[in-house]
Amino acid sequence: MSRPNDLVQGTLDLLVLKMLAFESMNGWSISQRLKDLSSDILQVSDGSLYPALHKLEQQGWIEAEWRQSPSNRRAKFYSLTTAGRRQLKLEANNWERLSRAISGIVALNPREA
Amino acid sequence: MTIDRLATIVRLRIRSLFQRDRVEHELDEELRYHIEQQTDLNIRLGMSPDAARYEALRAFGGVEYQKEVSRDRRGTRWLEELVGDLKFSIRALRRTPGFTLTVIVTLALGVGANTAIFSVVRGVLLKPLPHRHGERLLYLRQSGSGPGQQDINFSVPEVRDLRTRVPSFAGVAEFSSWSSILYEKSATQRLNVGLVTGNYFDVMGLAAEIGRTTGPQDDGVAAPPVAVLSHEFWITHYGANPGVVGTNITLDKHPVTVIGVLEPAPFFPDRVDALLNLVNSAHHLGASMQNQRSHRMTRVVARLTPTTTLERARSEVASVYASMLKQNPSDYPAASHYSIDVMTLKEALGHDAQLVLYLLMASAAFVLIVSASNVANLTLMRSVKREHELVVRAALGAGSARLRRLKLAENLILTTAGAAVGMLIARGGVKVLTAFAERYSPRASDIHLDGAVMVFTLAVAVALAIALSLFVSIPGDGGMAPRVMSGGQRAGGNSPARQRVQRGLVVVQVAVTVMLLAGAGLLTQTIIRLTRVDTGLRADPLTMRVTMLTGAEARDTNAVRAMRQKFEQIRTELAALPGVTAVGIGGWAPLRSSGMYFLAEAQGKPTAPGAASARAEVLSADPNFFMASGIPLLRGRAFTPADDDGNTVIVNKAFADRVFANEDAVGKRVGMKVEWRVDDTLQWATVGGVVGNTREAGSDGVHPTIFLPLRSLPILNPGIIIRADGRDAEMAKIAQAVVRKYSPTALIENVETVQQFRAETFAKQRLNAVLISSFSALAVLIAAVGIAGVLAFSVAARTTEIGIRMSLGADSGRVQRMILTEGASLVFVGGVLGVIGAIASTGALRGLLFGVSPRDPVTFVAVAAAMAIIGTIACWIPAVRAARIDPAIAMRA
Repeated sequence: MSRPNDLVQGTLDLLVLKMLAFESMNGWSISQRLKDLSSDILQVSDGSLYPALHKLEQQGWIEAEWRQSPSNRRAKFYSLTTAGRRQLKLEANNWERLSRAISGIVALNPREA
Repeated sequence: MTIDRLATIVRLRIRSLFQRDRVEHELDEELRYHIEQQTDLNIRLGMSPDAARYEALRAFGGVEYQKEVSRDRRGTRWLEELVGDLKFSIRALRRTPGFTLTVIVTLALGVGANTAIFSVVRGVLLKPLPHRHGERLLYLRQSGSGPGQQDINFSVPEVRDLRTRVPSFAGVAEFSSWSSILYEKSATQRLNVGLVTGNYFDVMGLAAEIGRTTGPQDDGVAAPPVAVLSHEFWITHYGANPGVVGTNITLDKHPVTVIGVLEPAPFFPDRVDALLNLVNSAHHLGASMQNQRSHRMTRVVARLTPTTTLERARSEVASVYASMLKQNPSDYPAASHYSIDVMTLKEALGHDAQLVLYLLMASAAFVLIVSASNVANLTLMRSVKREHELVVRAALGAGSARLRRLKLAENLILTTAGAAVGMLIARGGVKVLTAFAERYSPRASDIHLDGAVMVFTLAVAVALAIALSLFVSIPGDGGMAPRVMSGGQRAGGNSPARQRVQRGLVVVQVAVTVMLLAGAGLLTQTIIRLTRVDTGLRADPLTMRVTMLTGAEARDTNAVRAMRQKFEQIRTELAALPGVTAVGIGGWAPLRSSGMYFLAEAQGKPTAPGAASARAEVLSADPNFFMASGIPLLRGRAFTPADDDGNTVIVNKAFADRVFANEDAVGKRVGMKVEWRVDDTLQWATVGGVVGNTREAGSDGVHPTIFLPLRSLPILNPGIIIRADGRDAEMAKIAQAVVRKYSPTALIENVETVQQFRAETFAKQRLNAVLISSFSALAVLIAAVGIAGVLAFSVAARTTEIGIRMSLGADSGRVQRMILTEGASLVFVGGVLGVIGAIASTGALRGLLFGVSPRDPVTFVAVAAAMAIIGTIACWIPAVRAARIDPAIAMRA
């Protein structure tokens, strides 16, 4: 699967921001963490993570810094900015509302409708 | 958005633009890190190194693809591409210098004309006035019906009514145009001055640059005479010396204190050198002027209160004026149809210039249409030659949007370069146009090529670039395949659609040029008719106006007697000079108006109540005036020295016809009174003679005129009229020396022949004709080049076809006719449309024409014929070339 499915594409930004809320990470670690946490359900092609990261950086939500990685190589580490933290809150709330609404609809009993 | 975040974004954008290599390198490194980490992981999971790397790359999903998407995310791509497009366009344009140069020059001419004219329109009509809250300033205009009755000014009692009874007016100020003579050790000079009420500067919203302006304390007979210098006069006459404030100058032989210098501002209706308080003119504070409602000598400006509107002020003024008419019926005879206008001062300042400036703006726009059409045609032809290139580029993956943008970039370079060169042309043009605008508006000094004008020019350039881009067809996704297959060669080279566009552009060019030519033709006819008007004079005498006394000295009978004696001595000495036929003295020169009118009637034929009285201009003459001026004596006799008592008058033929109809006027009695002195009784005199009509310069109307004996009037600045055998310049010098001999301090003005004066009064009309004619000449030239170019292109595209025709038996004459017909039909259609357009629009010129109808058929036929001839010549060259095509070569091509 070379393209993320549509739902994921829309929410990839939110997921990345959430990952970075815990600690600063490089691209590869983020992709690994995404796979682990979503139990491989969210299959994002590794590459499509980078345009998303660069967009978030260009928008000022996250900032980047070159540091030594645990494997002792230079890697680009991303971390959340103050503006990014606000944006995360905003998007998380939106997500919350959206998913509640959808779950509500999906849980409807046909006879109640 | 917080400032921090904004700063971050800007920093990143700048980094993406200017540290592109570094950003690219980091992107590379980042992605490589990911692939390597994944490969290592895969190896640890048990894959072979090759398989591990392959799997990592596969999971990544195309490294180059992701890089491209990442680059898009930087948000600077459009700019990078634009820079690329511009660089590419410049390279492409440099490869075709002929095309590039032609386009830039053509556009520069069109844009230059527009920029120059727009700077004038802006300076004279659009710019806000420099006065504080200038938008609240109003100019009031009172008019009667009949010639010379527009803007007849106001009397002091009328101003009083307006001042006290119109609630919308925050202030009403009076301004009279006046002239004073400035006496200095080195020279004597006439100044244009304004006599103003103390509140004038306050109402106008003008402050002193140095010193002070006048206030209420400067009104009334007891106030000392003071002057406020205009900024311009202060600079030109006093070299901007601030020391002049506080000193006394000598005006009309009286000391006047300079109290200040005014900030720069335009004056209506004319420029002034200084503004004086009313006490400077005994006349203005005299009883007649203060109390006579019909003694109208004052212009009125008013300032609106901040809360009112122009409409409300208008209706208030209208009702006050209506009650003024009702209460003073004798001061507003019904036959004269008095009326009042309220306009903004800005409108009044631009009033005379408006029509001619909009005409110029339209003409300049027409020139731009012609030059832009030409450029559009050139671009079209060029794009045909580049079709192959475009098709290949499209085939290699350039999207049609990208190609369109490339085209736009190219056009932007061309039009901005054209605009830049146009600005240089405009810089030269503005100087000429400022001199032109000075004849129409006091705001000419406000004309500059400033920022707003540059924005205008830039906007024109961008609009042109966009318009030009619309003309170019871009290989779209749909039509690509066949074109690529045919190698892109000539696929659309001569497509009917493109030909239609090209022909349409030629038709537009011809039509617009014909319209311009029609305007130029009418204005040229105007100046020809003006110069051909029979003035009624049988000579072209040299004239000069000589002032020896001031208004105050005129009350001293001894001084007046001495002055008259000097004039007689001067006259006698001049008449004795060799080559001089006659020398006369008059109130002023022939063809000049005195601005004074009598109401007159014949004895025994009183004016019926309610009917308009005969209105006659009042001029004065000495016994030699008619002979010296070349005005023929038709009946009776000229003045003799015995007529000085004023019991004899001489009238012109128009007056005799008007008042005495078919009877002989000589020996009849006429009763006269000054027009505005409605209460006066008639003064009676006998008609001594009838002279021929003369026409005031610039009109073909003849005023009924009464000549009074010169010495019966207190004239202070008579004209000396010298009829001699040519050598005007030499005679002018000699005559001035003679005057100086008798009166060293006399002011000598307007030393010129009557014809020189006439030429000066036609200067406006002459300039109109010259400007519009140059615009049309420009349009004709560009259009002719355009027609020839399009036909030549058509011939080139049809070379093979023509070759076939010729090999099948068409002779060269036939081919030539074919091409000529193609061109001539375009010129014909354009010409017809142009004439229709001209008929529809030349009515707007009416106010600028003289002696010719706006739809003058002769002009229209001549213009159409001229265009046809020029068009045919333009078609001839490509037609002849087509006829020379060698079929053998053409068919191999």
